[in-house]
Amino acid sequence: MGLFRLKGFPGTGNFRHGIHPPDNKSLSAESKVEVMQTPETVVLPLLQHIGAQCKPVVKPRQIVRYGEVVGVGRAFISASLHSPVAGKVKKIGMVTLPNSMHLPAISIKTEGDQINPQRLWDEMTAMDWPRDCISIYAPETIAKIIHNSGIVGLGGAAFPTHVKVAPNDSRMIDTLLINGCECEPYLSCDDRLMREAPKAIVTGALLAGRAVAAKEIVICVENNKPEAILKLQQATEKTLIKIAVLKTKYPQGSEKQLVKSVLGLEIPLGGLPSDAGVAISNVATIASVARGVIKEGPLTHRVISVSGRGIKHPKNLFVPIGISMGEVIEYCGGITEDAARIISGGPMMGFAFSDMTTPVTKGTSGITVLTHDEISDEQETSCVRCGRCVDACPMNLVPTRLALAARYNNPSIAIRYHINACFECGCCTYVCPAKIKLVQLIRTGKKLVAAMAKS
Amino acid sequence: MIVITLAIASGTMLLMAIILSYILGWANEKFKVEVDPRIEAVLEILPGANCGGCGYLGCSDYAVAIVTDNDPVNKCTVGGEACAKQLAEIMGVEATKTNPLYAVVHCGAHSDDRLMPTEYRGEKRCSAAHQVAGVQGCTFGCLGFGDCVRACNYDAIHIVDSLATVDYEKCIGCGACAKVCPRNIITIVGFQEDMIPTVACSNKDKPKEAKAVCQVSCIGCKICSKSSDIFNVNDNLSECDYERYTADNYEEVVEAMEKCARKSICFIGKGIGQKADSRPSVLMQK
Repeated sequence: MGLFRLKGFPGTGNFRHGIHPPDNKSLSAESKVEVMQTPETVVLPLLQHIGAQCKPVVKPRQIVRYGEVVGVGRAFISASLHSPVAGKVKKIGMVTLPNSMHLPAISIKTEGDQINPQRLWDEMTAMDWPRDCISIYAPETIAKIIHNSGIVGLGGAAFPTHVKVAPNDSRMIDTLLINGCECEPYLSCDDRLMREAPKAIVTGALLAGRAVAAKEIVICVENNKPEAILKLQQATEKTLIKIAVLKTKYPQGSEKQLVKSVLGLEIPLGGLPSDAGVAISNVATIASVARGVIKEGPLTHRVISVSGRGIKHPKNLFVPIGISMGEVIEYCGGITEDAARIISGGPMMGFAFSDMTTPVTKGTSGITVLTHDEISDEQETSCVRCGRCVDACPMNLVPTRLALAARYNNPSIAIRYHINACFECGCCTYVCPAKIKLVQLIRTGKKLVAAMAKS
Repeated sequence: MIVITLAIASGTMLLMAIILSYILGWANEKFKVEVDPRIEAVLEILPGANCGGCGYLGCSDYAVAIVTDNDPVNKCTVGGEACAKQLAEIMGVEATKTNPLYAVVHCGAHSDDRLMPTEYRGEKRCSAAHQVAGVQGCTFGCLGFGDCVRACNYDAIHIVDSLATVDYEKCIGCGACAKVCPRNIITIVGFQEDMIPTVACSNKDKPKEAKAVCQVSCIGCKICSKSSDIFNVNDNLSECDYERYTADNYEEVVEAMEKCARKSICFIGKGIGQKADSRPSVLMQK
């Protein structure tokens, strides 16, 4: 690894600090994406993205078609919600998401003729995605279609994509980075998507690049996905898209680290990638942009990984949004006897949950089931000031200070040590020999700081 | 030689002392600030707990407010009625009857009543546990990690069988616990009687969802409001109008309690605390 070099880019392909957890991607990386059939009911929480909650526009017992808008996001930072099935609206109930958000959700019972999800997936993986017709779309049109398709960042944070690509004169975008790093252990959904639908990604990249008027488009992949890199190289032939092969390291896929390692630029504290003239989007998002613009299909399905040693048959699945986690796990053969923890997302940044009726949302990148051997049973001990968390923190923060400030209700110290720069990657908790729940405490601290700012 | 030096030194110091003390004496007269002697007297009577329960920064702030702004004398929850009476004497006003303030926990679920709990390995604090789902099914109820216990300066709230339980012998209603509760289930209530009824639930979900997460959750069925009009149902949750409860309403409240299928109404107050056995059956034997 010491000989790692990134050629053709200003960055080194690496960033300071970070960790090397065992990636465990081999569990699911080799299994092809399987298409799940339409479930009996889907539950669509009204807030699946960052921003304002959707307003439901359907009433109980109303019949909806596939792709019909069921929730409208009226605010600028918001995204609409489309029905992934045809059926009848049952009711608007409450649902608790793994990140503890308790919010209304529309449940739809499937009825009548359904769209075949296999067809949607075949469309995605087809090799005939057009490239020459891209110039007929005006940048504003692309942004508008993305808004109407309800596309949000599918990497996990679920930030509405149209906000990123919306024309903005004050912030010029030079480079569009397409994030295919997938640094989170266990997950392999982006890897599979890059292998199976590289053409869709390329078309989407060209569209998104046109929308933001980017001079350069770079697809970033970690060097532990050689097949995906090969497929993308074939697909990007005769285009201006470049591929950056980066060092495998967690959290390489975080936007600030990605900009640093590819372009060698630092994003200022509290700033956004657009401050450095960069827009970043996940590969899955980009693929759904292509689908939204070219095939005029809204975001209703996504690829998720179901992985971990606690699951009988780890798989990558193409599922409708709103399907329950229980059904997905059941499809993969259920959980093994020594399963101990079911996590929505990957083990580093995901949230543990136990309610099997929890729906898959737009931001769910996978389900990880860990066994008793994989999770730590150790009791927390005192901080010994060893500084390992400081060495691991990719944001160059002092996690132990932040966590203890949160534990002892001291928001002023937390602010002084820049608590809001933390993006909760989990490196500090991973390396902490005292087993202090640093990230959870920091999250509590952020709440504390927000409450103090309000009062 | 030494004697003379010492004499000069002490003489100078003495002279300076005399001059400076005259200056101080003059300044004391000249720059005197008139302080109402009643402030001192009021401060003497106030218990000096500096709890902030009255809404002022501390006892001295409240003393100033009583004397200068004619603030009501019954705001001190620590001193209670006796304190108010003495303060009224100093101020020459009549002490109105004070309803002592106590904390009320709007959750009645003990560990066995809670459904769908998850094994939680995170930080053992309510503020941290509130940010992850599934510590228990209910997203409104008491988490039982005791942020309120740590906030209480009077040892008046404890976690009993994973439910925050107020010790009404010790509670002074300062509101420190209510401020730290991340789920806002503790409120400060003026007690009209020693024992008052309360709806020990905060779940505003629809009946089916509220039932799925807890055995003693209020489902907003409105049966209590039919027996007694001090209960009002809003947002699928019954709320008790504490100001309207008097001993005369006792019978109808007990009727409401008996009719409540979810057993989420209970009496709280001195002598009974908030325990599972303050539910109707035991209370009726009293």
